[in-house]
Amino acid sequence: MDYDPMAMDDAESLGPVVKISQADSVRVKFELQNADISFANSLRRVMLGEIPTIAIDLVEIENNSSVLADEFIAHRLGLIPLNAEGVEHLLYSRDCDCEEYCEHCSVRLTLHARCTGYDNMSVSARDLVPVGERINQTLGTPIITDKDGTGSLILKLRPDQEIKLECIAKKGIAKEHAKWAPSAAIGFEYDPHNKLRHLDLWYESDPKAEWPPSEYAKWEEPPVEGEPFDFDAVPNHFYFNVETAGNLPPDGIVAEGIKVIQQKLAGLIHELTEGEGDGGYDGPRSPEYNSGPDTNYGYSTSYGGNGGNQSAWGGGGGTTPFGGQTSYGGGGWS
Amino acid sequence: MAARRDSDVAMDDAPTSHQPEVKDDTMVDDEGDDFDENEGEEEEEEVEIQRVKLLPGSTETAASFEFANEGHTLGNALRYVIMRNPDVEFCAYAIPHPSEAKMNVRIQTFEGTTAIEALEKGLRDIQELCDVVTEKFVKAAADFAEKKAATG
Repeated sequence: MDYDPMAMDDAESLGPVVKISQADSVRVKFELQNADISFANSLRRVMLGEIPTIAIDLVEIENNSSVLADEFIAHRLGLIPLNAEGVEHLLYSRDCDCEEYCEHCSVRLTLHARCTGYDNMSVSARDLVPVGERINQTLGTPIITDKDGTGSLILKLRPDQEIKLECIAKKGIAKEHAKWAPSAAIGFEYDPHNKLRHLDLWYESDPKAEWPPSEYAKWEEPPVEGEPFDFDAVPNHFYFNVETAGNLPPDGIVAEGIKVIQQKLAGLIHELTEGEGDGGYDGPRSPEYNSGPDTNYGYSTSYGGNGGNQSAWGGGGGTTPFGGQTSYGGGGWS
Repeated sequence: MAARRDSDVAMDDAPTSHQPEVKDDTMVDDEGDDFDENEGEEEEEEVEIQRVKLLPGSTETAASFEFANEGHTLGNALRYVIMRNPDVEFCAYAIPHPSEAKMNVRIQTFEGTTAIEALEKGLRDIQELCDVVTEKFVKAAADFAEKKAATG
């Protein structure tokens, strides 16, 4: 197996290229070249949904005389971005040895406010106070980026109303709940001139006039009038725009995203290689070890499958599409 | 197809899924808690979800794998990178049902290598690709910061 997986078919193949066009504390815009769309999309998906961050997950309300319902406030609290710096050292609550939560798998924040003046009072993220032991002094601190330095508004109190509660912030990923998303939005774009015709632009009379050109349109050659369609063309330049919600720096999101892919792969490789030479292991290994229909691949089929049972799908001989000897051919399919 | 029509089953008899059901206790936490509490807890400690399974009917050079808790994120990238391996005859992936967190990959190789080797190589290739992209990104970010500092 001697080939370069990074080499693309075009002559200028020097492996992937990354170009950054804008980078500040809120967003990073970059271009990824010479990578396949499948990899670019993996990166996008991972940055959207699988980067661990920290968010309020449990709320114990001691006193709430505000006009808002407890659960309504709890939901708002969950959506407040918290600083996720050092979250890699925090355990997932489900992996922790503790009963419910502890300083190894959570950060505690308290909120206590009472309106003592004559005007309504705003309670915002700034009033959330981290308490107790923490892994570092920034993890779990509410993110405050606005000019006034108050952070997100949680609720308002009328004179004499009070709110007192304790929050438990836990580690999680956005695939489980969007409150753990590190990015406010991820722009993903390729082929600004639509040369590949992946888009079918709706128009009234002239799509060129009605659709404003993308900001990346000037980065690529515009199509030549009357140019024949290139059937072999594949997208090769991907424009990302990663905007953070504040919990991680934007370039940190990209780095973390790649790290998450790496961990996913490392886990799978580990499982694959661990299985070799281990007799009792029922993971994937060379099918030559398959001693016959008795071999259990680590699970039992939910229907039929176990020798001779009349399967619901297979018809004759109890051959199920997946439970029998062959995955295709066989008796079940014709 | 005529023969199959005869052996069609009523909807109630048909299994809810084409895929084998996972019998792990880990998957049924909320249901399992009500009864046999002791048994469930004991097993929960040991059971670790197997992330890759070789589906039955696979041979040396033509195999199907089932990945638990994976989706298009890994599937498409893996499919692409395995297909780029010149020793691989065919590679495809599918997510048989959207509400089951399972992803299947089919690999068929030419003589001289095995499907499992091709899969492992595919995984390592993406890892390598990730390394390169990280390296390039870090360098690009450093260059950008430098340029920004220089121009004010």
